[in-house]
Amino acid sequence: MASPQLPLAMAGADEVVRVARVRGDAGLRQHLAELGFVEGSEVKVVSRAAGDVIVLVKGARLALNRSMASHITVSI
Amino acid sequence: MAETTIGLAGNPNCGKTTLFNELTGSNGYVGNWPGVTVEKKQAAWRADKSVTFVDLPGIYSLSPYTPEEVVSRDYIVGERPDAVINLVDVTNLERNLYLTTQLLEAGRPVVIGLNMCDLLKERGDVIDATSLSQRLGAPVVEVSALRATNLDALVSKAVAAGKAGEIPAGARCFSPEVEEALGKIATIVSGSCDANLVRWYSVKVFERDSEAVKQLHLSSDQLNQAEKIVKAVEKARDDDAESIITSDRYDWIAETMGACVKKAPKRLSMSERIDKVVTNRVLGLPIFVAVMFVVYYLAVSTVGTWGTDWANDGVFGDGWLWNPADQAAYETATEEYDAGYYGDKIDGFLAAADAAGLDTADVSDAVAALAEDPEDADAQAVVTDFVAEAGAAGIVATDVPMHDGDGNFLDANEEVVTRIDAEGEPVLADGQELAVIDAVTAADFADAVAAQESAPALEDYGSFVPSVPSVIEGWLAAAGASEFVTALVLDGIVAGVGAVLGFIPQMLVLFVLLCFLEDCGYMSRVAFVMDRVFRRFGLSGKSFIPMLISSGCGVPGVMATKTIENEKDRRMTAMLTTMIPCGAKTPIIALVMGVLIGGSDAWWVAPMFYFLGLAAIIVSALMLKKTRMFAGDPAPFVMELPNYHLPTLKSWWLHVWERISAYLKKATTIIFAASVVVWFLLEFGFANWEGGNGAFGFLSLMDGAPEYYTDYSLLAIVGNAVAWIFAPLGADTWQAAAASINALIAKENLVSTFAVIYGIGDATENSVTMWSGFAGMFTDASGILHVGAMCAFVAFNMLDAPCFAAIGTIRRQMDSPKWFWFAIGYQCVFAWAVGLIINQLWELFALGNFGVWTVVAFVLLAGMIFQIARPMPKTEREDEKILSDLSESAA
Repeated sequence: MASPQLPLAMAGADEVVRVARVRGDAGLRQHLAELGFVEGSEVKVVSRAAGDVIVLVKGARLALNRSMASHITVSI
Repeated sequence: MAETTIGLAGNPNCGKTTLFNELTGSNGYVGNWPGVTVEKKQAAWRADKSVTFVDLPGIYSLSPYTPEEVVSRDYIVGERPDAVINLVDVTNLERNLYLTTQLLEAGRPVVIGLNMCDLLKERGDVIDATSLSQRLGAPVVEVSALRATNLDALVSKAVAAGKAGEIPAGARCFSPEVEEALGKIATIVSGSCDANLVRWYSVKVFERDSEAVKQLHLSSDQLNQAEKIVKAVEKARDDDAESIITSDRYDWIAETMGACVKKAPKRLSMSERIDKVVTNRVLGLPIFVAVMFVVYYLAVSTVGTWGTDWANDGVFGDGWLWNPADQAAYETATEEYDAGYYGDKIDGFLAAADAAGLDTADVSDAVAALAEDPEDADAQAVVTDFVAEAGAAGIVATDVPMHDGDGNFLDANEEVVTRIDAEGEPVLADGQELAVIDAVTAADFADAVAAQESAPALEDYGSFVPSVPSVIEGWLAAAGASEFVTALVLDGIVAGVGAVLGFIPQMLVLFVLLCFLEDCGYMSRVAFVMDRVFRRFGLSGKSFIPMLISSGCGVPGVMATKTIENEKDRRMTAMLTTMIPCGAKTPIIALVMGVLIGGSDAWWVAPMFYFLGLAAIIVSALMLKKTRMFAGDPAPFVMELPNYHLPTLKSWWLHVWERISAYLKKATTIIFAASVVVWFLLEFGFANWEGGNGAFGFLSLMDGAPEYYTDYSLLAIVGNAVAWIFAPLGADTWQAAAASINALIAKENLVSTFAVIYGIGDATENSVTMWSGFAGMFTDASGILHVGAMCAFVAFNMLDAPCFAAIGTIRRQMDSPKWFWFAIGYQCVFAWAVGLIINQLWELFALGNFGVWTVVAFVLLAGMIFQIARPMPKTEREDEKILSDLSESAA
């Protein structure tokens, strides 16, 4: 797969991306996974402001700040 | 009949608490804010008392990331309810089923309730419940918790499943190689746990969940065996075990969704459209500021104030009129009466007669007697004789000053004169003229006395409701209570508790509005928007909601910190949130502004104090973040944003009631007890005045007690003992210390304590006599008002430990004596340091006074600046690192 990867914090509004991987300590990865950020899941960016994002994932709307969103690497 | 216990489990905000309330009739509060249930609640079923429901906190999974998850997991796996109802929000099915797959492994009968199916239908989606039930291997019931449909069927199924002990096998949700590995692990653990929990523990061993594995007491040989199996799968999949389990679950859920749900084509939902605007980078903050302005305008400046005035002046004051027409008539009559300035005429004429050499003692008593009882014939005779005598002597009072209803002098423009000197004489600004009555003759005096007899009185109106103190006074008199008991009940208990209850109307308005914002879903957006701002100061956006609530009352404010997952963030917020001025601190603000600028009507005064509180929180947060116990970035922010919806009236009210009742409970317990204690301290003491015998007793009833007998009270002794603490702050009197102690009961007591101590009676924070009394405390022998000392004193009382009610809440919230004392200690020391700096800097720059304490103040100030500016102690800055790594690799 050669599609470009970038942190979710850098994805633009209205873009639909896929989770490529999640970084961070085990507890954080686990928590994000439980919220739906697992490899391959589709993420729709609803709005974005300075790296803080609101996304739709697995049917739920979640707000993430920049540091949380940079733990998640996505591919376009 | 055997008791049945049913646990209610589900995701945050899936309608679980609504279901619980509907089933049990209990009043748990339901919010549109994820994470409102933190402790588990328990109550019996309305339809059958032998069935007990336990409402578990909302969770996303059974792996312990948050305290809520631990509570739920311990309950289901450890306490083993007879059955579990898993409520599932179908508008969010994918997410919700993740927890379901885990619950199905927990070895308890599970019944799944599909909630909010009506919302799904609106969207046009269709769920095939039968095939879902087959895939999950557990009964599925479609319900609506909000409209109470199908709930009995859901519970009956759960009771039946519990009786029959239908333990679900657990969905076969993992990929074949994982299932195979789990099978092997199952043979290892099967001897060490309950047969129903083999699947559960197999998965836990696979995930290397150390806490769960510990409970199995496996031998190291067994553990090695399991580790080998897990390693093999990890190698094959090139991923860690935990991620494998999670992604397999989601894969299976995605498959299930495909098989059981038919989705209608997506539209941009209303919530998404609103979010585009309110969480907008540019508009987000201004919209929030505008919303909050409206909230505080209604709660503090208009509706709330009317309510508070009614409670303080009416219910706990002189009584009130329930009929608005009577109220209007009373106000008109009072206005007309006030316009006559009869009291001023009487006082002025008596003063003139006194100056002219007439004896006025008897007649002034007679005037007072007539005000009580216009039919008093003796008094009438005295007045008539006096009028004749004075008329014969040709006495005319000239230039009698006019006063307003609060007893303040007025100027020619009918504005209040805001300065008076030590003798109580008005101090006029350049060009300001005192409003005076040019001449009062003996005839005018007679008219004024007659008019005063018919002064409008509330009791004369049909809809009069007597005040609480007067009713209780009547009961006590009827019961023949002693003077001591009457004083204790009225001045100690009723006045203390009444002062606290007086804030309820204002709080009610504030909470009605704030709860609406929470329930409709806007608050979680605010937390997100504010996160951007707060993160710079080391606080999470979730810390902001408790602070908003604290502006009404610190008790629910501290309680609201529960929803912050990160322990450090939660503790810090609980410590700092009470620095925001609450409703009870507003009279203090009004008082100091009265002294400084002659009134507190300016609209910017109250917001300024909120900003000061916020500044204190930010400075504290910045300093505390650099200490080892709070070091580290605030937990990264992730929060579910629920759909916007209009809250039902019932859930809205329950939410408001939860907040208010928290305060009420404190008012009727802690504050009740503390009021009595302080009253004793103030009323009892040693008769050490000149001619006193030094005996201990109830001061006001002792022989020869001076007017200011509180100078000899126990409170004065305590105040004197601690006054040295306040000396560097410029307020070294026992009164200042005593008022600060009293303010711990309830902050507005600061004002009323001054009234009592200085014997100003019922002067309020809006009376000039009160202002000058307060200013007098900070005025030295040469007549200089030490503004710095006054501001320092107020700042100390704003920022130090909150009232006992809030202190008690902090104690419960911290749940650790060490943290509790640290929090209270920090608040007091910080408040003292801020007070010291304010006072000493003012003394230095305004008066040029320099001393040891000035040095201390500078050292403290430098220390604060250093603590804020110094680099963060060594912590993991992982987030920044990830970002910079990525930008490097992208370049």
